[in-house]
Amino acid sequence: MAIIELQNVTKDYGNNRGIFTINLSIKPGEAFGFIGTNGAGKTTTIRHLMGFLKPHTGTVKINNLDAWKNAAEIKQSVGYIPGEIAFPDVSTGWNFIHQQAALLQLTDLSYANELVNRLQLDPSANIKRMSKGMKQKTAIVVALMADLPILILDEPTTGLDPLMRAEFIQIIKEEKAKGKTIFMSSHMFEEIEETCDTVAMIKDGKIHTITPISTITSNKSQQFMIEFSNEQDCTRFMQEKFHSIRMNLTTASVTVQNHTLNEFLAILSMYPFNNLTEQKHTLQEYFYQLYAGGPSHD
Amino acid sequence: MINGTIFKQTLRANIKLWLIFTLVLTLLQVVMVSVFDDRMITDIGHMVEGTPLAGFFGQTTLLSMLASTFYAIHGVIFPIIYIIMTANSLIAAQVDRGSMAYLLSTPTKRSTIIVTQASYLIIALVVMFCIETVAGFITLQVFQSDVDVVIADFMMLNIGLFLLMFAISGISFFFSSLCNLSKNSLAFGAGIPLAFFLFQLLSSVDDSLEVLRYFTMNALFDTAAILEGENYWWQFGILLGIGIVLYIASLVVFKRKDLPL
Repeated sequence: MAIIELQNVTKDYGNNRGIFTINLSIKPGEAFGFIGTNGAGKTTTIRHLMGFLKPHTGTVKINNLDAWKNAAEIKQSVGYIPGEIAFPDVSTGWNFIHQQAALLQLTDLSYANELVNRLQLDPSANIKRMSKGMKQKTAIVVALMADLPILILDEPTTGLDPLMRAEFIQIIKEEKAKGKTIFMSSHMFEEIEETCDTVAMIKDGKIHTITPISTITSNKSQQFMIEFSNEQDCTRFMQEKFHSIRMNLTTASVTVQNHTLNEFLAILSMYPFNNLTEQKHTLQEYFYQLYAGGPSHD
Repeated sequence: MINGTIFKQTLRANIKLWLIFTLVLTLLQVVMVSVFDDRMITDIGHMVEGTPLAGFFGQTTLLSMLASTFYAIHGVIFPIIYIIMTANSLIAAQVDRGSMAYLLSTPTKRSTIIVTQASYLIIALVVMFCIETVAGFITLQVFQSDVDVVIADFMMLNIGLFLLMFAISGISFFFSSLCNLSKNSLAFGAGIPLAFFLFQLLSSVDDSLEVLRYFTMNALFDTAAILEGENYWWQFGILLGIGIVLYIASLVVFKRKDLPL
């Protein structure tokens, strides 16, 4: 059933570096986010998926084929953006795109052209003189142009400006809607949150949690930060029926169930306050909690 | 097994370097052949008599002069430099830089990449030496038509030199396939051929250093044996064998190793 499956994959480089007993199972059509700090093992895991590295123990399978032994065969259905962009010795972006198309035996470049337009890329530029963002866009075009069913993206938005990142996320959402399986590593929480169904967090080469995004960004309740005009009001507000935590003399953090939002606003309107901000339940927050402590389950 | 797209790209990226080296090698051969003058050699022979250089000029035929100059120094070192630079750029440099990831992210087998790149290097050397040989042959006909030259020996010198370069390219290509870093690939892929060259050179300069002949593969290209009609086929066979074994070994190590891409 799983289209990408890692079973007890270990690659031990010594000194606690490497990845250890990684188990992941990704269903067809799933968008899988992979989050971790620099050096946590994201790229090492992806290199195993691509068949660049041979695991010391365990198996990596894509489409039920061994990622190491059948690496070339698997690539018929995998589009890949490497974590480090280093192009071959070709002159222009178009030359590179055409060369990759030839290697992929792709003759129809209409989708490549569409992506070039959407990302506002100028592939006629000399590839060695391209800016980081331009190179990244070229890599994105090359990975997506063949319309392959599995996408493996290693930090795909590195170097993109915010507008282009938004466009890229839109493109990924469309790819997902087409039914593609997406494996995307990142240290940008927003993009994982917006595109992925499931997120795995990796720390020191071990998977810490695998969680559906929906449970992280749950919207049954909301959290607000209120800054009152004076200390007394804040103290008085703490007596109300809401679940509040006092942050300092004049500030309180309140958790409100969605169905009591009206009531909350009605009560709050009786208090003089300076500021009201919504605290989003983000992946980032979740991630920080995880990194702050908590045992790994391996 | 050879991928046309990769071959074309490799050709495009490497043709300039190849052209320069082929041109230099061919010009050297042409100059060496055309400047030969019986009388001049005899004069120099007298001049350096009693010095370590006497060995170089002791013989006076055109081919023996070429054997101790072009086929011992220029014709050896220039192709070696070409091989070192090219072999490293074909595999190790692309792994080091990371651009190999793009070839391997397509349905291209590692073995296809090795076979394609190795073919390029071998074909480049074959064509380089064909051009050099033809140019040398024409120069012989034009400038030295009055000198008696055994054409078969001239051909054998070139075939022998090519086989030596084939074996050396095997060394450089093997380390290019084995190492993930250019600096390591170059340390061995350049270091070993250059050491062989120096050993061969030193061993021919002074008798006391002759023992170095046993530590260099270049001694298997035995110009004296070719010119004196001794049996040299076994040496050619060994050079060919070394080359083939190293190219096969390149394929095996590259297929099995981890790539940090």
